[in-house]
Amino acid sequence: MHELYIAECILKSVADSLPPGMNPQAVEEVRVQLGKLDAVVPDTLTFLFDAIKTNGGMPNARLALSEIEVVCRCENCENEFGIEVPVFLCPSCGSGNVKVLRGRGITLTGIQVKDENGEDDGNSGNS
Amino acid sequence: MEIPVIRDVLEESNARAEENRKLFDRHGVFVVNMMSSPGAGKTTLLQKSIPLLQARGRKCAVIEGDITSTLDSEKLSPLGIPVVQANTEPFGGDCHIGSHLVQAALPHFDLANTDILFIENIGNLVCPAEFYLGEDRKVVVLSITEGEDKPLKYPLMFRECQLCLLSKMDLAPHLDVNVDQIKENIRRTNAQLEVIPVSARTGVGIEEWVEWLAKSRST
Repeated sequence: MHELYIAECILKSVADSLPPGMNPQAVEEVRVQLGKLDAVVPDTLTFLFDAIKTNGGMPNARLALSEIEVVCRCENCENEFGIEVPVFLCPSCGSGNVKVLRGRGITLTGIQVKDENGEDDGNSGNS
Repeated sequence: MEIPVIRDVLEESNARAEENRKLFDRHGVFVVNMMSSPGAGKTTLLQKSIPLLQARGRKCAVIEGDITSTLDSEKLSPLGIPVVQANTEPFGGDCHIGSHLVQAALPHFDLANTDILFIENIGNLVCPAEFYLGEDRKVVVLSITEGEDKPLKYPLMFRECQLCLLSKMDLAPHLDVNVDQIKENIRRTNAQLEVIPVSARTGVGIEEWVEWLAKSRST
């Protein structure tokens, strides 16, 4: 179950992305994009993230996941196409010489933090 | 407040892998990450192929990724090569070898006296495919006993690898398996993936696999 390791990596990435001095407890939402090719189960990742987030110093963090569809480009005829099933053959020319353009990788894309009236982040706005 | 960020969550894992890579490059070590389902025959294939590599003057070493036992390491000990066990926990643990485990194992090897390092990953067709360890090549071992559909069920593994060793070919006459269908499913998943049918029992394909290693090492 590599979702546990990935959940740990997400917490570490968030911690490393916070401005210096900011309290990690202020983190309310963590946005992550999952490539569909990565074979990460979103519900499992969310469950495990919730299980370890308190020990990771972010008890108030909610994981918001979005899945990125797999998009390929045929290197033979340059056709770009999405795939719903894992068959990496160009629907136009039948070539198997295809490159994955999107749908691979796990990316932290945003962090929402609660304003702490200047205590932690020096900002006072609406979250 | 929104903190804008675009960050690969595996960047630390990849950074450690790059540190491994630099060490391999410095010492001229060719590294092969071998992956498969449990029981596909990774260890037995290493048992059969390492003596052929030794006969070619290649110094081999192995990182053994077992969750709970040292049985695979014990199987390889007669070869007289350095084997480091990257155990996780006695009663279960990680589903894959991480770059940090490889990094922890490397000080136990004399890399200056190592030509080929095999990382025998934990038996699993899902998780190990996700992680770069600093290797030169990824190889998946798929035994013909596992069914024709495995490439389609575990596409990332078959997309990430450069070679598929189709193992236990000696069993083909005794099974209802359609080997051509396995090869076709591999092609549909990754047409660039080379396939070598092998049998550790009869020796079929082992020389070709060893030759593939030699050719890959020189490119």
